[in-house]
Amino acid sequence: MKDAAQFRWASKYPELGTGPISVEPCVSPAYFESEREKVFKRTWLKVGRVEEIPNAGDYKVKRIAVAGTSVIMIRTKEGAVRAFHNVCSHRGNTVVTETGEETFGSSRAAVLTCRFHGWVYDAQGALISVPEEERFYSCFVKADNGLTPIHVDVWEGFIFINLAPRPEQNLKDYLGGYGDHFAGFPYGALDYCFTYYTYLDCNWKIAHDAFAEAYHVPTIHAGSFPNAFTTGLQNVELYGPHRTTAICLTLGAAATPVATLANKRARGSLVAKAGSNMLPPTINPDRREDFAFELSVTFPNFLLHVAEGIWFTHQFWPISHNKTLWEGKYYLAAPKTYSERWALEHAQVLQRNAWLEDTATMEATQSAMESGTKHYIHLQDEEILIRHGYHILDRYMAAE
Amino acid sequence: MTNHMLPPGFEDIEPFAADWALDTQDERYVKRRNSSAEEIRSFYDAMLRHIEKILDEVDRFPIGTLPESHRPLYAMALSLAEIAPHVELYRGNPLVPYSFEEGRMRSWHGDQPTWQGKRPSP
Repeated sequence: MKDAAQFRWASKYPELGTGPISVEPCVSPAYFESEREKVFKRTWLKVGRVEEIPNAGDYKVKRIAVAGTSVIMIRTKEGAVRAFHNVCSHRGNTVVTETGEETFGSSRAAVLTCRFHGWVYDAQGALISVPEEERFYSCFVKADNGLTPIHVDVWEGFIFINLAPRPEQNLKDYLGGYGDHFAGFPYGALDYCFTYYTYLDCNWKIAHDAFAEAYHVPTIHAGSFPNAFTTGLQNVELYGPHRTTAICLTLGAAATPVATLANKRARGSLVAKAGSNMLPPTINPDRREDFAFELSVTFPNFLLHVAEGIWFTHQFWPISHNKTLWEGKYYLAAPKTYSERWALEHAQVLQRNAWLEDTATMEATQSAMESGTKHYIHLQDEEILIRHGYHILDRYMAAE
Repeated sequence: MTNHMLPPGFEDIEPFAADWALDTQDERYVKRRNSSAEEIRSFYDAMLRHIEKILDEVDRFPIGTLPESHRPLYAMALSLAEIAPHVELYRGNPLVPYSFEEGRMRSWHGDQPTWQGKRPSP
């Protein structure tokens, strides 16, 4: 065996160590209860995009099971985004009636009205109308009974919330160098988004880890992406709790007949070679010819990837220690013609299939880990992002 | 059969129209999984010869305005996009090999008629 110093990433980031990783964070219900408080109620969580609520009065409600609440994001008349718990001050009903994990709506007057007794709140959260207000006792003060706010901020069009009463950092400081690294990509212009989701019977980190390396590509993606990507990472950078790397093409894979036709009609496939015209200088800084996409993790649960003409995300929402809501989103430029739309259909169907390959191992990994047979997992040098993830998680879990 | 689903010039693929002219991705996703390797292969072979002509034909119309006469033709092109990886990459297997249960993966856009050209997300 070689020394850590002989490995690219272990020598660049010696503080991460090289030892095996405990399985406890993935299988322990008690560990998960602690993660709720120490990670998910303290960090900034991506909950939406500004394009989802473009106009004053547009709102989105998203369930955040890990924090036991639902968040309303609403666009104010002034154009800002505000966030509140979806709980009425009157009898505790949900203000917006939810129809699933995400509920969308729009109010021309930019107000939210509780269906139960008609209490009305404005987009700043203020309680502005109470039917039969004169029948409430003097201890009820309207001005004190607005919606309960949640800290919210926007970076590059991504809406983040922080459920702490007083966040330790603002969003800009929380993202730090990661925010600079990913600024300037045309996220908002590539807004034609295909969304897939499912519930996985596994810990959120098992899902996260399965996507956070390229070592699995020759085996897991032998079907959908044969000989397409190299397993080694390039340009790994760690930014506080966040992490990023470049994934590269082998440039040896020949496109199949229908893929060739699709690639001629529109840019939609990660395995089709492309330039770096839209990429900010921080991404693929050497303008490598074999650059495919940047793979990154915004701690704790958001994976952001960017490529020329394509960006995509994964998010892992914990429900319990062994149940996770996974959301995969694939963003492209809106097609201008039917043939372009057809080409995008081909590209995103293949991407969906690749995600079906990625998700195939997760539940089996969870049940095998829960058997108690193995107490540790082993990570090689090109799995450095996973190692960094557990390293950061340890730090959050050890904090007061 | 005198009741043609496709515009003139596409008689060769007319026999596949009743099965494969499916407007939504969900329908195409289910149809592919319920087809045999032979059915997928014969549809692929027939469509590959015509796909460029189909795409040029539907491009005569601005996106979102495809007339009823051309919707089955476009839906068949989209079915080709759905099944192409199975012929070209998965050795004819109608399922994604070594995958998560396909029926459990859901999409936001799955029930949209694709020809309408609507945004696939809110």
